[in-house]
Amino acid sequence: MNTVFKWFNDRLPIVNTFERHLSKHPVPKKVNFWYLFGALASVVLIIQIISGIWLMMPYQNTEEGAFSSIEFIMRDVDYGWVIRYMHTTGASMFFAVVYLHMFRGLLYGSYKKPRELVWIFGMTIYLVMMAEGFLGYVLPYGQMSYWGAQVIISLFGAIPYIGESLEVWVRGDYYISGSTVSRFFALHVVALPLMLIALVFMHLVALHEVGAGNPEGIDIEEHLDQDGVPLDSVPFFPYKVLNALVGIGVFMTVFSIIMFFFPEAGGYFIEKANFEEANPLSTPEHIAPVWYYSPYYAMLRAVPDKLGGLIVMAGAIAILFVVPWLDRSKVNSIRYKGIFSKIAISLFAISFLTLGYLGTVPVTELRTLMSVICTAIYFLFFFLMPIYTSLESTKQPPERL
Amino acid sequence: MTESTKNNNRRKVLIGMTAAFGAAGIPFAATPFIAAWNPSAKAKALGAAVKVDISKIEEGQIVQVAWRKQPVFVLRHTKSSISSLPSVETKLADPNSLAIDEPYRDLYPTRSKSDEFSILAGVCTHLGCSPKYHPEVEPKPWDATWTGGFFCPCHGSMFDIVGRVFKGVPAPTNLKVPPHNFQGSILTIGEDKEIT
Amino acid sequence: MIKIFIIIFSIYSAPIVFSAESAPCGDYGECDDYSYDLYNNESLQKGLATYINYCYGCHSLKYSRWGRIAADLEIPEEILFENLIFNQETKPGDLMTGSMIKRNAEEWFGVAPPDLTLVTRSHSPEWVYTYLRTFYEDDSKQYGVNNLVYPGAAMPNVLSHLQGKQVLGCKEVPVIASNGGVKRDENRNDITEEKCGYLKIKESGELTQAGFDSLIYDLTNFLVYVGEPAKRDRERIGWYVIFFFITFTALSFLLYREYQKDYH
Repeated sequence: MNTVFKWFNDRLPIVNTFERHLSKHPVPKKVNFWYLFGALASVVLIIQIISGIWLMMPYQNTEEGAFSSIEFIMRDVDYGWVIRYMHTTGASMFFAVVYLHMFRGLLYGSYKKPRELVWIFGMTIYLVMMAEGFLGYVLPYGQMSYWGAQVIISLFGAIPYIGESLEVWVRGDYYISGSTVSRFFALHVVALPLMLIALVFMHLVALHEVGAGNPEGIDIEEHLDQDGVPLDSVPFFPYKVLNALVGIGVFMTVFSIIMFFFPEAGGYFIEKANFEEANPLSTPEHIAPVWYYSPYYAMLRAVPDKLGGLIVMAGAIAILFVVPWLDRSKVNSIRYKGIFSKIAISLFAISFLTLGYLGTVPVTELRTLMSVICTAIYFLFFFLMPIYTSLESTKQPPERL
Repeated sequence: MTESTKNNNRRKVLIGMTAAFGAAGIPFAATPFIAAWNPSAKAKALGAAVKVDISKIEEGQIVQVAWRKQPVFVLRHTKSSISSLPSVETKLADPNSLAIDEPYRDLYPTRSKSDEFSILAGVCTHLGCSPKYHPEVEPKPWDATWTGGFFCPCHGSMFDIVGRVFKGVPAPTNLKVPPHNFQGSILTIGEDKEIT
Repeated sequence: MIKIFIIIFSIYSAPIVFSAESAPCGDYGECDDYSYDLYNNESLQKGLATYINYCYGCHSLKYSRWGRIAADLEIPEEILFENLIFNQETKPGDLMTGSMIKRNAEEWFGVAPPDLTLVTRSHSPEWVYTYLRTFYEDDSKQYGVNNLVYPGAAMPNVLSHLQGKQVLGCKEVPVIASNGGVKRDENRNDITEEKCGYLKIKESGELTQAGFDSLIYDLTNFLVYVGEPAKRDRERIGWYVIFFFITFTALSFLLYREYQKDYH
């Protein structure tokens, strides 16, 4: 046995890789619950991949077959409903977990030197996830799939000169047809998941190169023992694994409660209109995106210009990429930043949540006003970050965890 | 007992319990994924019993029907071919179908619920090809003393006219007899309330 | 400064797509309360019978199979076939695709009657329950009836002989003061005013109002079932899964705390 193992290990660095990334990898010994969401995101990713593979088998990527194949899965496939609800709940939970994970990054300065690349890979994952979620939502070919896709694809029409022909090219037809569904299917199940997996891999390799952060925002590498291991760290296995296991247990409990008792989540995870087959001749009374896009949808609606709306929406995501260079603070963690940072991040969180709500409800004059204000706060949080983070006085973080 | 061994024991017990409980969940988590591969309600509906009108089938004629998208042979034997059945038994591996779960054993020599029809699943018990019916009593390339029956073109398995397998061929057992029922001239294949 | 200008400008120029949200049950306002009971097989069976007798002629349940309903509702297949399936060719595994040809239907009704398998999911059980009870006489409409929940519904009220003829009428209602209380005159009598748009039975039908409500309750209950046949199983299995994860969390928490001693 040992010789076989040695034969492999001499040719493939099994032991080394395992110890470096999974067992001996040092992690800060004192972190809080905010540091669990990364592990939870990988759990959901696995759930999505497995349930997705199983959904692919009975699903039909045709105009005639798509909607009825979903009902086929829900009724005629043994336990098909378990697999489908796992996937729909998983999609929403993936975003929930990733939003919390991202907010953790903003709170504790996880993007700051030397973790800029970790942040950028993470943001790219988020971007690919948004595309993945959108494509997936089109596949059941219900009313909301159809009209949601109609709205999103029409955004391409805002691009000057090539817009309209681009729309047709993306759809492969003059409306969202079977051609659109089948190309979205290929992207949803093969292309984007491959990208996601590759990006997650790079996110983790980059993270393990520079080491995980902590809520104090201090560098644990400054105090090492005689073996070069940080004094304030514990090995990933078993300590961090056990920590994650508790988190996974709580998370899966919440996941199951939603999946088995509230799979539609009151129309937020599966929208009511999507129980009606797509009808290109009749728009539902109220089109709302799924909750995880709604903040950006509210921003889009806040701008009274098609191209302008698109630019604002794209800008809102693009600006997240450059956060590592906007934050000029001497400290990483919100715990030691000044009062302006604390106010700014609170206002930012409130306005993002408000935008999220506004994006799911029909427009009124007051709501449009609120969307405009919240969009402004969203952008000001980032635009003013270089100013308030460099001017405010900060507290001195402790030396050790 | 020292503090550390006490702790170690506690750890071992907890690790055992957590691991065992977690592992116990795996079969349950796997159930939906395994069950989803079963035939769907649609497949079951399409695989429901089929009805054949047998009044038009003449003596010596064979009709192939599809049940669950698989060939089923319905043969109407002549009186003479039935009476010649015992004579071929020396060439057979299992003339009384003892090696398989025969639904209508000892009822008629046709192996069916009728004294002149045979109902046979047209799927070779070797590797699933469909055997061809060769009723002629004449020397064949595969058997110089051929007295009529089924020959499988894939791997050369031979069966007599009621689907019993010959000795020395790759097929291990006789052709299967699907559940069936006669109601007047209507033969139902795939369902028999009397045996299920 | 320019930014603020743009913001203010955009508030006023933003197109108002929706002026107000419509009530969940149309002109009726809030829907009536409804709570399904998927363990009440008798109610589900009655609902199925009502559906087949009054609705299935026009509205298919094309994602549902006869045999599945028979098994789930514990109806012996023979009884189902004798009493509710009128097509001799039908097999238990067949989908309930309805008996009406789509092209004919469009000629007769202007639009093909929709499939109702998922109606309680695309609307809500409350909506269906209210909708079916709010038809009223309206001579201006093609079928002489209109509906409060879904005004202009292109559908005859096939249940009117059971419910009776319902009309929109007016009645005296208390005037509500701005503080939310009922306005009273100096003799402490409630001040009332006439308000219209209320449903009342003009000519009673074969059933009492309670009897008709219970018929619609069963019908809606059946439609809730048929919208998601696995719902009963889902909620049953859910308890076990949740129990499993809570126990797992507790065990792993104990283990986590045990190992935490190493570095605290």
